[in-house]
Amino acid sequence: MAQKSWMYSVLEAVQYEMREDPAMTWIFELTPPVASNPGKPVINLETEFGRKRVVNTGIDENWMASAVLGAGLAGSRSATYIPYQGALIPFEVIQNVAGKLRHMTGGKASMPVVWIIEMTGQTPGFAGQHSCYEEDTYYAHIPGVRTVIPSTPYDAKGMMVSALRSPDPVVYLYPAGLRTLTEEVPDEQYEVPLDKAAVRQEGSDLTIVSSGGGMPGVLEAAEVLTGEGMSVEVIDLRVLKEMDTETLVNSVAKTKRLLTVDQSYYTLCPGAEVIARVAENVDGARYKRVAFPDAPPPASPEMFLWMRPNAEHIAAAARALV
Amino acid sequence: MNYEVNPKVGSSEQDDELVSESRRGFLKLAAVTGAVATVSGRRVLANGDIGYYAKDLSDDKLIEMYRTILKIRWHERTQADQMLTNPDYRGYNHFYAGQEAVATGVCATLRNDGPFEQIDLVYSSHRPSGHAIAKGVDIPKMCAENDFRATGLNGGYAAEMHLSDPAVGFIGADGMIGPAPVIASGSAFAFRARGSDQVAVVFAGDGNYAAPHFHSTLNNAKLLDLPLIYVCENNLYHQYAHYSYSCPHTDIADAAAAYGIPARVVDGQDVLQVYNAAKEAVDRARAGGGPSFIEAKTYRYYNHWGAPGAKAGELGAFGYDPLAITSFRPEREVRAWMQRDPVDIARNILVNWGVLDEPRALEMEAEIKAEIETAFAWASEQPLCSPEDGLKHVFAEGTVAARQFG
Repeated sequence: MAQKSWMYSVLEAVQYEMREDPAMTWIFELTPPVASNPGKPVINLETEFGRKRVVNTGIDENWMASAVLGAGLAGSRSATYIPYQGALIPFEVIQNVAGKLRHMTGGKASMPVVWIIEMTGQTPGFAGQHSCYEEDTYYAHIPGVRTVIPSTPYDAKGMMVSALRSPDPVVYLYPAGLRTLTEEVPDEQYEVPLDKAAVRQEGSDLTIVSSGGGMPGVLEAAEVLTGEGMSVEVIDLRVLKEMDTETLVNSVAKTKRLLTVDQSYYTLCPGAEVIARVAENVDGARYKRVAFPDAPPPASPEMFLWMRPNAEHIAAAARALV
Repeated sequence: MNYEVNPKVGSSEQDDELVSESRRGFLKLAAVTGAVATVSGRRVLANGDIGYYAKDLSDDKLIEMYRTILKIRWHERTQADQMLTNPDYRGYNHFYAGQEAVATGVCATLRNDGPFEQIDLVYSSHRPSGHAIAKGVDIPKMCAENDFRATGLNGGYAAEMHLSDPAVGFIGADGMIGPAPVIASGSAFAFRARGSDQVAVVFAGDGNYAAPHFHSTLNNAKLLDLPLIYVCENNLYHQYAHYSYSCPHTDIADAAAAYGIPARVVDGQDVLQVYNAAKEAVDRARAGGGPSFIEAKTYRYYNHWGAPGAKAGELGAFGYDPLAITSFRPEREVRAWMQRDPVDIARNILVNWGVLDEPRALEMEAEIKAEIETAFAWASEQPLCSPEDGLKHVFAEGTVAARQFG
């Protein structure tokens, strides 16, 4: 147990699985699988497992995404780390092949593969083609692929272990804005389920639901609101497919007020799905949705920071709802 | 000074249509020996016949090219100094310094002003500041854009990685590996379909080779005989990885030859070598001869992004870049390339040819340095963006709703 960063926690999980399974492979471009952490040994998958199993390829996310699928179909567990900018190039093979293959083959295809896909663009000044926080919506829409989005280093490790051990293909979204988070993370392997949301704070006045890059702002707002005397329940979705409807419904059945928060675009953001599921099952609740407007993120920090949902926006929306 | 242009003889059939008698003889010899490299003693001679176009340029045109190189160089240096010394400066860059001769030599062969329906289009995938200046983008407005100002080239929406100014035919940058060449081929497709003699040029780096887009672009450009000029700026590194990680060829132009596209490898530090190859390619495209591929061997003086390792007032970045995990650029390699500096090479040629004398050339550099400083000063006084304007320009008309407040 030690304070660990997000990436150290993830690579610790991968390193263990690769030591246990000599057939497992890892493909990367530009972002070497290297992590260091105070008081812990440096992890370098490339030097430890060699370049036959750990491949540094050209900038070709189509190949990376397809190759791990092929490796999985050949019986080798395989994972790839798709960095910023190319985060939706793998979409075609994940949506039109991986997502359909098990069903299409009458259950015969097994795909023990993980696509770790970065979400970037929360840095003011980047914008345009360098932002992709909306991809949670796109990937969550695909049947047959488990799409998860951990928001803490502890979940990042536990969900990576579960994802690597899952016979289903997993899109593992990594909000790059969370890379600076650290927390106590066990050294040994443990699993965090791929179908359960987490209740981060219990309360009775209002339920706030978010995920990934939205969580730090939600937790900050919840702290402020709690200080003001509001009883806030905070749910971290963690899983977009298949979404944990039960936890959501149980919470809103109690609070009768639901606020969703997304860094994704408003239209079809994960919160839209959350509200729809709750509305089907809970009578008499009130709803509000905070999301990025349906506009591409602009470069200017003045425009971008005004448009990006933050703790102040969330707290104000919560006050308006309660 | 060596003005050699290495010919890439992928398909002698195409080249035959465009070259002189003795060039044909050379090609036959190359075919007999089986490899161009084995007859390198003939290369210079043979290339003497492919048209050393730059020799026929007017003094004014040559001086204009030199001035363009200087504008790019001092834009990069001034911005690097801003980043290093001015805590209020918010802009950043993927610096182009070291590669100035490539953008300058290519754009000098293009139609850069006139009605939009007649000018040539440039797609800059990466490191756009140099391409933008060479194509004629307004420098003060570009400086303002890179500093996120409301009166910048793109109103503060784009910034460095996404600069665009269609008015001068600069369709712009996306900062991506992949899409730009394919999209550029679509512009070339439109030119051909509407019977225009415009050409489309795409600048893309060595990293682009690995993307499927590279191969799709070349295949379709050849199949449809599109007026596309693919300028591969091989600066040896894509981000922080040497290009040997992503391409099995020493010369990426070998890949273009495999698609049946005439390809040349040029010294990207020598603006006139680049000009000659580009002129040949543009003439071919305008005449309906289809696409060309130019690989310019070049080098960037700064690291992939920003100014780590750079010192204010000094050119280049040396030493450890914490982001450079895969390939670390040795200081000796950077300094070796800086010995063949595109500014010095251009100046020396112009002085040797009697176009300029040394004092005038240096005076010109001082003028341009001051001009660029004025541009940065103007940019720094421009207004910041209004937050609400982020909801504009999503569609041609109207604004979208604010959703961030619930």
